Amino acid sequence: MTRAAIIVCWVMAIGLALFLIAPLLVIAAASFSPTPVFDLPLTGASTRWYGKIGRLDGFWPSLLLSLEIALFSTAISLVCGTLAAIAIARGKLPGANVFATALVSPLMMPGLVLGIALLQGFRAVGFTAPWATLLVAHLVITLPYVARTMISGLARFDFTLIEAARTLGCTYPGSVLRVMVPALAPSFLIAGIFSFLASFDNYPVSIFLADVRTKTLPIRMLQYIEEAPDPTLAALSTLILAGTVILLFVSDRVVGLHRMAGTSD
Amino acid sequence: MSEGSPHLVVGGVSKRYGPTTVLDHIDLTIRRGELVTLLGPSGCGKTTLLRAIAGLAQPDTGKVELAGRDITNVPPHKRNVGVVFQSYALFPHLTVAGNVAFGLKVRGMARREIDIAVERALSLVKLGHLAGRRISALSGGQQQRVALARAIAVEPDVLLFDEALSALDRKLREEMQVELRRLLQEVKATAIFVTHDQDEALTMSDRVAVMNKGRIEQLAEPRELYLRPASLFALNFVGLSTRISGTVLSADNGKVHVETKVGRLSALGSFQAGSPVIVAARPEQLRIGGGGETNSASGRVRSVVFQGSRTLVEVDAGAGESLLAELSGRDGAIPDVHDEIRLSWPVTETFAFPMEAQA
Repeated sequence: MTRAAIIVCWVMAIGLALFLIAPLLVIAAASFSPTPVFDLPLTGASTRWYGKIGRLDGFWPSLLLSLEIALFSTAISLVCGTLAAIAIARGKLPGANVFATALVSPLMMPGLVLGIALLQGFRAVGFTAPWATLLVAHLVITLPYVARTMISGLARFDFTLIEAARTLGCTYPGSVLRVMVPALAPSFLIAGIFSFLASFDNYPVSIFLADVRTKTLPIRMLQYIEEAPDPTLAALSTLILAGTVILLFVSDRVVGLHRMAGTSD
Repeated sequence: MSEGSPHLVVGGVSKRYGPTTVLDHIDLTIRRGELVTLLGPSGCGKTTLLRAIAGLAQPDTGKVELAGRDITNVPPHKRNVGVVFQSYALFPHLTVAGNVAFGLKVRGMARREIDIAVERALSLVKLGHLAGRRISALSGGQQQRVALARAIAVEPDVLLFDEALSALDRKLREEMQVELRRLLQEVKATAIFVTHDQDEALTMSDRVAVMNKGRIEQLAEPRELYLRPASLFALNFVGLSTRISGTVLSADNGKVHVETKVGRLSALGSFQAGSPVIVAARPEQLRIGGGGETNSASGRVRSVVFQGSRTLVEVDAGAGESLLAELSGRDGAIPDVHDEIRLSWPVTETFAFPMEAQA
């Protein structure tokens, strides 16, 4: 590549990164606004909006609900998704590819369609308990992330390792635990994080299944915006953002972000 | 158990995958401290036999006994075998020492004893200085040694090598063959190698089992295997040879006289008159010149290949038959291409095999 082309590429890359990050910086700045109406340039800094987060109407139950749903759906998806991925990568099932595509297909489906479909489906079979329907719906959301990550993780896994462990004195389950699980630990971590985040910030599916008493955090946040758009919401968003950044930073230390982005193994 | 008594006994082991018979009533007895190679082309069943011994493949019929114990239905983790896999199968999340210690930890050995055993195994393969390395930081040859140390560390009753040297480059492989044989003799290990590499088989083993289509065609010491191949397959798979087809004219006390397109030849063997056969001889038995009670044929030299200590001469004997002679420089003149020469070789070094065996 010529020098000019490299410069153009760098300018494009930096521009795109700014475009992606700038709104996040604005919301972080807004959360420290001293006045209820956010205005640039800032005339000072205040953390009072952070103190108001906990007093938002229905905040704690919604946070708890979102955490519960995200943790449970991630845990169940990790187990089921890994088993399904083993079946696809290992078992010589006829139509394994079709099954793999079907498993990952909710990723490509608009959340809105998925939400309506699940609502209608659950109604049709008389399954209406809000907490349980939310959990099942979020399984549909999180399972593809786990399955996709584990299928590619297993594709690189040498199953001879399990045989080696068995000949060295391990039982079959013991070999899976002592060799396969540690060797796939990075994949588990990546799958878990993506699954957790996908569930935690899901709005379009949850909105169809929530009721007055069972509202996930994203639904609650949209409600706040409609009722009282002050910087409290910006403060909450900033906290969620900070939590995500810490999560990603820790996983980068452990396994490397390039693996999470899928750009290399 | 004393040396020389049966240590590993494979009796009537068969294995089918769907319509394919992979192992066809295999019988194999190996003495304690013996190094045996299963040699054959891919798909001959050699790896399946190794896996049946390791417990990774369950035979349909037959039994496997190891160190006086029937292990036919014993799962692999209770067999006390050591396996070195083609891919080495080293655990990527553990260090070199962690890999070698794995089998000992699983056996619940005390930490101090593990450390001593790991150090001993690593020094055997000359990798003591790399104990703390990660697997991914090792070269192929070093990984091979770690895999060996890991298998040796548990002091298995038998060591099994599944194409363990095939991933190394040629020079390293040849060095490892010699070193591995010396090391295994040093620790008095009983070992089975699976390979398709005849040089590896001849270099490493006390006995070689030539396998074809799920059966053992010949089980013999390397020298005997080369000098007295039991079948056309064994002849072809190990070493070079001249092969001429013909029809048996007559037979008398262990010899047959065969009419071929290059003349009448005699060979060891007993066949009925009229049987189609292949007459064969090893290239180093062929000499320039004719004479007396020997087989001989003549033709025009097609190629002369100089290989250092020896020269391979291929002669077109007409009618689609060719002769292959290996001449050493000391024997005198090496012919030139297009020379008309006569080659002769002793009847006692000429074999005859049934024609259909080639199919």
